[in-house]
Amino acid sequence: MSDLVVSGASVIHGSTLAVDDVSMTIRSGELVAVLGPSGCGKTSLLLAIAGLLPVREGSIAIGSRELSRPGRVVPPEKRGIGWVPQEASLFPHLSVAENIGFAVPRGRGRAARIRELAELVGLGALTNRAPNQLSGGQAQRVALARALAPRPEVLLLDEPFAALDTQLRTGLRREVAELLRAQGTTSILVTHDQEEALTLADRVAVLRDGHLEQFGTPEEIYQQPASDWVARFVGDVVELDGAWRGGRVTCALGAVEAAAVGFTPADGDTVRLMLRPEWIVPRPDLLAHAAAGADARVASISYAGHDAMLSCDLTAGLTVRMRMAAVDLPAVGEDLRLAVQRPGLAYPVPA
Amino acid sequence: MTIATHAASAPGEPAAGAASSRSGGSGAAVGREGGRAQGVDARDASRVARPPLWLVVLASLAALAASIPLVYLVVRGGESGLDRIVETLSRGRVLEYAANSLGLAAATTATALVLGTAVAFTLSRLRVPFPRLWLLASALPLAVPSFLAGYGWLVLAPGIDGFVPSWLLLSAVTMPYVALPVAAALRGASGDLEGVARTLGRGPFPAFLVATWPQVRPAAIAGGLLVALYALSDFGLVAMMRFPTLTWGINAAYSASFDRAQAAILALLLVVLALLVVLGERTARGRVPRAAARAVAPRTIGRGMLLSLLPVVAAAPVVGVAIPLLGLATRLVQAETLRELDVPRLLAAVGSTVGVALAAAALAVVLALPIAALAARFRGRLVSAIESVGFLGHALPGIVVGLSLVFFSLAVLPALYQSVVVLVFAYAVLFMPKAIGTMRSGLADVPVSLVAVARTLGDSPLRAWWRVTVPLALPSVGIGALLVAIATMKELPATLLLRPTGIQTLATELWNRTVVFEFGAAAPYAAVLVLIAAVPAMVLSGIRSTAKEEL
Repeated sequence: MSDLVVSGASVIHGSTLAVDDVSMTIRSGELVAVLGPSGCGKTSLLLAIAGLLPVREGSIAIGSRELSRPGRVVPPEKRGIGWVPQEASLFPHLSVAENIGFAVPRGRGRAARIRELAELVGLGALTNRAPNQLSGGQAQRVALARALAPRPEVLLLDEPFAALDTQLRTGLRREVAELLRAQGTTSILVTHDQEEALTLADRVAVLRDGHLEQFGTPEEIYQQPASDWVARFVGDVVELDGAWRGGRVTCALGAVEAAAVGFTPADGDTVRLMLRPEWIVPRPDLLAHAAAGADARVASISYAGHDAMLSCDLTAGLTVRMRMAAVDLPAVGEDLRLAVQRPGLAYPVPA
Repeated sequence: MTIATHAASAPGEPAAGAASSRSGGSGAAVGREGGRAQGVDARDASRVARPPLWLVVLASLAALAASIPLVYLVVRGGESGLDRIVETLSRGRVLEYAANSLGLAAATTATALVLGTAVAFTLSRLRVPFPRLWLLASALPLAVPSFLAGYGWLVLAPGIDGFVPSWLLLSAVTMPYVALPVAAALRGASGDLEGVARTLGRGPFPAFLVATWPQVRPAAIAGGLLVALYALSDFGLVAMMRFPTLTWGINAAYSASFDRAQAAILALLLVVLALLVVLGERTARGRVPRAAARAVAPRTIGRGMLLSLLPVVAAAPVVGVAIPLLGLATRLVQAETLRELDVPRLLAAVGSTVGVALAAAALAVVLALPIAALAARFRGRLVSAIESVGFLGHALPGIVVGLSLVFFSLAVLPALYQSVVVLVFAYAVLFMPKAIGTMRSGLADVPVSLVAVARTLGDSPLRAWWRVTVPLALPSVGIGALLVAIATMKELPATLLLRPTGIQTLATELWNRTVVFEFGAAAPYAAVLVLIAAVPAMVLSGIRSTAKEEL
């Protein structure tokens, strides 16, 4: 097994440059999520890896085997890359078993292989069904089994859970991720759902307008976003402008310790401080070694069961949002002493 | 493929700006667009891709073959010289023919539009008993060829002739061309918009006009085009009713005096009128972006209202189907008819009818397949030009194709003159649009993503086509072939001009006897024609995937 290497790849889809100079190395056996808003080029990247779209520049290779470069594309059927499209796309004229066995050669062992795959995805009893007799989740399982059948080196999943309802989605995606890890298949999952990307993937590639904004572990993506755009895209943010001085940003929350991302501010420069709402906590006991702190009054509470989002008016003006576990919630109007429990991130103020 | 070679040797270039009518089959394709991001993505990708050269070449050859009748007619008509053309066109009789044709087409179109829209609205927006049965009944007139309806009426009322019976019968027979697409559009049209208009202060009819009519207008106008073309090119009915239109004049000029130059000029005039109708329809139709549709519950109406709507809904099936069949049946059961029945002759007519119909279906499918495959997956000027030429048969009256191929075979391929080859080719050109329309939507409905999945599972392009595209598109090929076969069996004017000596089809036998008022002798042929052409058409109209307007 070898790594999948995308280097400097640009892909034209329709008449637009959908993927622009993307480089990433996906290690053998890894599950990588490609995350981005709709229209960011993630599906085009997937189609290019599958050999369904040509690259205009750069190359795609598995180990030393080159698959795509300008003017030359190894056809999809010779790449050993499986594809689970967005809407299962089962062959409507074939049964579940025939769908799963589409790429299994005729001969001895075919039936056994189909049965094995059907059981693997938990559909052992449904092999004689027609695709239109399946639920959305079952259809996706069949599509997965079908793609796994020829033992692909790399498996591509294009928003496979997008069409399912929330409960089914959560269960199925965990199951699929476990299955893929157990099989040791290198997998690329395209999604626009941050939670899906962060919970499932070993590493996440964030794509924006065809550019790779950041490629890292879920923790890196969430806690050290490479740009203010990534910070906003992968989670909630609290944004405050303030003056930079020696590793601290002086703002309504006090002098908050922060790391400048992607630029080097001079002392006195105005920068934008970004915090995650859960980094702000009502714990005066932490203040001694916290990044900073401030007095505030609870303005409103948005209750979400497991946790709650509080809007707090700072005594120094401005309102910040903070997230806390929904036990012992303060009441609206209560005064709190807030601490910022870890250093924030500083970005340039947009022009 | 012999046809394609002939096409290559045909003089002249394919006509530009040819007619294409997409009224029928396109509905299904439109419904499939959008909504599925992945499918659209992959489809876009393939549309940008260039079509393979071999496909373009095959499709061009097929289109070239389809353009022979029109091109050769222009060549032949042009030989007469401008003076002769002007002189012919300014004759009083010619002007009368043209005025009759236009008047009949206009009156029929207007009647069919109003009646068809009323029927469609009644059946899809009001709560009527047995709605499906009524919808089926409204489609029935399509299955009856106009000359058969004319025959049935003449049996019962031998004295009728002239404009009024021609107009009423044609309107009854063509009403479904409007009613069916408008009913479909009404079912797809969002009723919410009408409700919104009502809450914003419009009355029921203004709300319909402002919210719903724009959504069904393209369907109504496209249906109107088919009606106008049908009325312009009809020969059998107007000839039986002795109402002298252009088709009648062409036939008279050709058969009575063998004045071929005059026949050619009249045919050119008819083609120009037909193409003008097509162009007019294109500018008038417009496009409406579809709002997300939600089904509207039919409104309940009182019994009195229902009874007053009955004549509207029943008019076309009664006038176009029930009364003609009644006339046919009364004549059929008379002792004299049965005594005179010439069974071998009848069987021979059945044999030749079915034989040429099957041959025409096969040829039409072969010619249509590359064009349909090209149009289903690729876009671009060349592709739409080829497709438009393939659709020429839609706008060409049968008598024009017949006449032009008489000239063409005499001048270019005398060995084939009055041979069954030319006859089958004429049918193929005339009815190819039906095959192209059905097969194009059948092929386009095979999601590109399925083929792509097959590729990622290890299939070569050819193997993926064979394992995925072919099985999924096969029903549409079969339906396309059946549509062509049925249309061929009902065709009259081209058959009259091109049939080889000694070969009679059911339509020509029926015709020959009716024009000399031998209604009894004609009855068996009419009955068998109903049995083998009209009944399959009715069955086919019950199949959901068929565009009923193609019948």
